[in-house]
Amino acid sequence: MARKSVKQAAKKRAKTAARKPARKPQRLAKAKPAAKRAKKAATKSAAPLRSGPSNVTWNFKLLAHDTLAGFGGMGEGMAVQVAKDGRRILWLAHESAPKNFTAVDVSNPRKPKVIVQTDLPQSFMRSNSLELTGDIMAVAYQTQKTGQQPAGFELFDVSVPERPRSISFTDCSGPHSRGVHQLWFCDGQYVHMASGAPDFKPTHELDDQFYRIFDVRNPSRPTEVGRWWLPGTREGDNEPPPERHQKPALDKGFRAHNTNVYPERPDRCYLGYIDGGMFVMDISDKANPKPICRWDNSPPYTGFTHTVLPLFERNLLVVTDESTNNNAGDWPKLVWLLDIRDEQHPVPISTCPLPPVDAFSSRGGRFGAHNIHENTPSPHCWHSDQIVVGTFFNGGLRAYDISNAYQPKEVAAFVPPAPALSPVGAIQLNDVFIDEREIVYTVDRFTGGLYILEMDF
Amino acid sequence: MNATRRARHFPSPSAGRFGRRQKRERGARIPVTVVTGFLGAGKTTLVKHFLETPEGAGTAVLVNEFGEAGIDDALLRNSTEKTVLLGNGCLCCNFRSDLQVALHRLVADRERGAIPHFGRVVIETSGLADPSPILTTFATDRALGGEFFVEAVITVIAAQDGGKTIKKFAEARRQVMLADRIVISKTDIADEDAAETLTPRLRDLNPRARVIAADYGRLDPAWIADASSVRDGAAFLAEAAEVEHTDEVRSFTLTEDAPIAWEPFARAMETLIALRGADLLRVKGLLDIAGCKGPVVVQFVQHIAHPPVELAAWPEGERKSRLVFITRGVGEREVRDLLAAVRALAARV
Repeated sequence: MARKSVKQAAKKRAKTAARKPARKPQRLAKAKPAAKRAKKAATKSAAPLRSGPSNVTWNFKLLAHDTLAGFGGMGEGMAVQVAKDGRRILWLAHESAPKNFTAVDVSNPRKPKVIVQTDLPQSFMRSNSLELTGDIMAVAYQTQKTGQQPAGFELFDVSVPERPRSISFTDCSGPHSRGVHQLWFCDGQYVHMASGAPDFKPTHELDDQFYRIFDVRNPSRPTEVGRWWLPGTREGDNEPPPERHQKPALDKGFRAHNTNVYPERPDRCYLGYIDGGMFVMDISDKANPKPICRWDNSPPYTGFTHTVLPLFERNLLVVTDESTNNNAGDWPKLVWLLDIRDEQHPVPISTCPLPPVDAFSSRGGRFGAHNIHENTPSPHCWHSDQIVVGTFFNGGLRAYDISNAYQPKEVAAFVPPAPALSPVGAIQLNDVFIDEREIVYTVDRFTGGLYILEMDF
Repeated sequence: MNATRRARHFPSPSAGRFGRRQKRERGARIPVTVVTGFLGAGKTTLVKHFLETPEGAGTAVLVNEFGEAGIDDALLRNSTEKTVLLGNGCLCCNFRSDLQVALHRLVADRERGAIPHFGRVVIETSGLADPSPILTTFATDRALGGEFFVEAVITVIAAQDGGKTIKKFAEARRQVMLADRIVISKTDIADEDAAETLTPRLRDLNPRARVIAADYGRLDPAWIADASSVRDGAAFLAEAAEVEHTDEVRSFTLTEDAPIAWEPFARAMETLIALRGADLLRVKGLLDIAGCKGPVVVQFVQHIAHPPVELAAWPEGERKSRLVFITRGVGEREVRDLLAAVRALAARV
């Protein structure tokens, strides 16, 4: 594995390949001219259920909105650092190139200020995920196609937030790998991630990213210590490949997504496995992760299990799907509550109620569950086992009171207007993080950037 | 009580006895302001003016009679009073059915996106309405209490003839007695000293409510949009001595410095409700319940107890229990003796 920064790796390749110009955010506007979008919106508003304005601020209070210097297409990596000088820095991953990551000074949440914004070396890369422990930040690199480089993850020293310094880049590229989609780095010791590998040939091209664990106690020399994949998804497995989800539009891959590990149970990984459902993994021996249980809602549901959030003291799991098809083509995408009193037999007991699909399906873009606030084990993260806050793309940001786990109740919603230049003509809230001050940060997937709110419930 | 039962499964160590601690009394429920007042008092003008302020944006208005003044740029639903004979033989004037249907429809339409999102409801009652049934309707989850929370009852009374009205009509007196806030209206067309003359009479009927004069319905919108009764604590708790009004209505405040055990209190209130529920016009308080971090808000309207709510923190001021009673013929001493007797019995268990 290479031990140099992703920028250095890119420079080397640039000698033999013509460099493409960095993409400008304006291209999003060109994709659909404003007049065309306006016409589409006018047509939509003729529908009887769309007679009311779509924006909602209910029991949230908007403090600030920042489009992040015109690069407001944000991914699903958010972390808060309190720098040595006391400033509170919010680190944000981008949905796609050209930007790598952005740091925002949110010391005053009413006046956020972008302090650094970095570029990806290749337009086919994306750094959709990041996590931070202390002053070290891990950033995931994924490529559009298998075989492309660079793909892997990079560790940065961000002790001076304005000048992130690369510590190491770990190569996860390969002929059948798109690199790292998501990572979890909360104990300063291990990076848990959804990644391909040079030596991994999946039985289906969509099944390339599996669960990998890297020891980063020496951050300049990350070392893989364990891995697990769904049996049947690697060439040479004894088990047959899993049965694909029937509709091609719903076949998203049997691969890892979120890989959450918490200090309450350092011997467990809570693993979302997209079309494979979710797994609770025994990682007491990191070299040999073993599934303890699996829960898979699809079919008859429509797959893409994303996040598994344990609420340890309540014996509950919160499991999210991700909506990935526009116009609610994969509805319903839900947030589920599971009874995990018996760890080997999780039982679904309720879902967080979505707003009516008829009111959102034609607003543009995706509608349904995606990320939730994950109680990240950080002193700068809010923790709650009674409130679930999640993003639902054009359904906005929603908070649920799960005090009664059998009957989650929506207690707050925030659906801002479509951001300027949005290619889908609607908000697409993608991720959420809440700091220990109870300040809520949520981001748009395309152009809207960062919204900062207070919980008022 | 319900919350306690539910908490047996998947209890959260950070929850209180009554569930998740709330930042405010209404929790996440939709705030409701009830605007009442006798015929011609100026209720519609007041509501109309509120809707024209920035604070009035996102307000749904329900009237249970069509007023003479139009309400522009607002949702307008019609709801009429009904008298419902309940199964237990108690005849309650209840405009529950229409009000419930109208409010549930509003929420459903809001969820469907069929109407603009609203964050507040103002109910303008008919001039002859007694506010008690409205408060009762919001008291339980099964009716409207799960979605809505009555933040304040605002009673509008005309400066010039308000005195005569409350003297002549029991309904008008009831509206004043049950108010959280009283607005003396039409001072611009009244004698110069009309408001000053009327104010002591209103205070006599209701020493807890704040009283303010307003010309042409021009009222600080915070009086409607920020009408949390907890914030009104000082006024709410002003009355210490028992006051007996006309119509046998009396009001008094019980206070307690030491933390209160919940079970004996709940049993005593159940007894009181069973015996004299119809005469408990409004009971409301902040209690320092043993084992609870924040104050516990309790409310009773006639036979119905609101689910208790624990707040995250005590409001400014000393930490002690205060419970205001507005009753018909139930006196302070009787209530105090009942609470003491149940407490003594419970202590022997």
